[in-house]
Amino acid sequence: MQACLFYLFAALTLLCGVLVIANPFTRNPVTSAMFLVLTIVSLAGLFVLLHAFFLAAVQILVYAGAVMVLFLFVIMLLDLKEEERRKIKAGAGVLGLAAAGGIALLMIAVIRQSNAGVGLKPASAEGSTLDLGKRLFTDYALPFELISLVLLVAMIGTVLLSKKDLK
Amino acid sequence: MNPAMLSLELAVIGLALAVLLIDLWTLHEFKHRLGYLAAAGLLVILVASLCCASTGEPPATGFSGMFVQDGLALFFKRIFLAAGVLVVLMGVEFRDRIPMGLGEFFTIILMELAGMMFAASANDFVMVYVAMEMMSVSFYILISFQRSRSYSLEAGVKYLILSALSAGLLVFGIALIFGTSGRTNFAVVAAEGTRLAQNKLFCLGALLVLLGLAFKISAVPMQMWAPDVYQGAPTPVTAFLAIGSKAAGFVLVLRVLFVAAPALALHWGKLFTWAAALTILYGNLCAIPQRSLKRLLGYSSIANAGYILLGVAALNPPGSVAVLYYLAGYAFTLAVIFIVLCLVARDSDDIAVLAGLNRRSPLLALALTLGMISLAGIPPLAGFFGKLLLFKAVLEQAAVHRSYLWLALVAIAGVVISYYYYFGVIRAVYWSEEGPEMTPIAVSAPLKVSMGVCIAAMFYLGLCPDAVLSAAAKAVQALRF
Repeated sequence: MQACLFYLFAALTLLCGVLVIANPFTRNPVTSAMFLVLTIVSLAGLFVLLHAFFLAAVQILVYAGAVMVLFLFVIMLLDLKEEERRKIKAGAGVLGLAAAGGIALLMIAVIRQSNAGVGLKPASAEGSTLDLGKRLFTDYALPFELISLVLLVAMIGTVLLSKKDLK
Repeated sequence: MNPAMLSLELAVIGLALAVLLIDLWTLHEFKHRLGYLAAAGLLVILVASLCCASTGEPPATGFSGMFVQDGLALFFKRIFLAAGVLVVLMGVEFRDRIPMGLGEFFTIILMELAGMMFAASANDFVMVYVAMEMMSVSFYILISFQRSRSYSLEAGVKYLILSALSAGLLVFGIALIFGTSGRTNFAVVAAEGTRLAQNKLFCLGALLVLLGLAFKISAVPMQMWAPDVYQGAPTPVTAFLAIGSKAAGFVLVLRVLFVAAPALALHWGKLFTWAAALTILYGNLCAIPQRSLKRLLGYSSIANAGYILLGVAALNPPGSVAVLYYLAGYAFTLAVIFIVLCLVARDSDDIAVLAGLNRRSPLLALALTLGMISLAGIPPLAGFFGKLLLFKAVLEQAAVHRSYLWLALVAIAGVVISYYYYFGVIRAVYWSEEGPEMTPIAVSAPLKVSMGVCIAAMFYLGLCPDAVLSAAAKAVQALRF
């Protein structure tokens, strides 16, 4: 049962991921964004299979919810017609495919040659909120607090770069 | 957990928040005084780090091994603080070209500085990522700060996209390292180093992490962004990119290689010789036809990343000492050049704006000339001695591996090529036809003092390098070879 679900979600993640960037039927960015939502949801399914329930919930709430809504707003504010008319250059496409294919082959070869997952200690924490909270406020307290500064800088920057009057 | 370890960083962050708040009650015409406040504060912190703060002996770790305060971290933090003072003073000079938010400009520079200081002390891959993000997010904003100039916006967008890509590589690498070792702490990963070095997936992870860091130091193959971004960014920000961001990238490279994965570093000599050779050639060859001064410095910064990589590629203690020494000299050299550019290249940064500079302001002409001479690596300035140390470290290795010999030859060829464009700048200052603009340039007192300090530092580092060299030698004791 678990294996079945794993293959289902993994296949969905990959398929939808491809459809985000290379949809043969339409080049509408909104469709791409919707497929990105599906990718994120099936990824959340994989997290559930790994017992990372909190991560799965956050993945759907934050990425599929908040971030995607933001994406859609931005897409709709842009001029979509121009994007649909734009032709992809053949040379760039071939080069891009070759680069991506090369990296994929390299990754596959590396994973086959290394005994992935052998000799690992069992995880020291399950994916529950209790464990996560403990970790965040003990071992990872310093990076966690630093992230708040990164957010502050990002906030100042957003206000500055989007404020209307130049005074 | 010992919060006193963070005193330098907390002081910088406190200063940033203070500037942000005081900005609220400051009238528009007095806002540049916030810059003087920030510079004075940083100067106090720098002095405190030189005399009061712990010497980093013995090295102290804290926050569950996330943060380490040792000689290496302190050496780089002092470079960052000195660079921060100079960049903030440049920012004050640059105020008429910043349309709004001068207070926030200084705040974000200070936050950026805090990010670099955390990077110098990172002892865990999670901290590496968070510190890198702190630097990147600040730079996204700083680079596009002149938002009415399309150049600045274009540079900001380019930096955003490429930096996000490199951050993606970095995180992927960290995920692979975590997946194979089960830990992210440098010391724990290093303890299992020999076993992990056999694991191909771990090697790939380390390689991706190094690629992510190569973006920060603008080394081949992640060098593409440097000229465009250097040209488009406001000049003080370009200076900070060239000095601070590069030094932060190098301290992380040293830590990842020689603290987290010393067993792996031994096998990667060839990788680094190739990276260094290609970076030197790319930077120097592409710099030849440049007419824009900031683009020229962008390519020169790529070439210098290549020279500094020589010290990393040597994989021995003298190499790392040379890296530290070179970065210290490089910081002061570039600071002088960018101060001159702030004052001279107001509307355009074409090399023609330098015409007749020796009559408009002999001080600036002299400062720029000395900076270029130091970059070119001519005695007795800091750049010469730094290059000498780097070459010496590489030649020491050449006795063991023959391949280092041709690396040294490539580097020497690069230096010879670089004479052409560095002296092209000097020629433009002294021997070009008079430009349309011949009014004398007024230099404010703080900038005069900072140029004097930088020039004095260049001579001091070049003539009596012993003090800095012994400090650098102490600092690299944190690394294992």
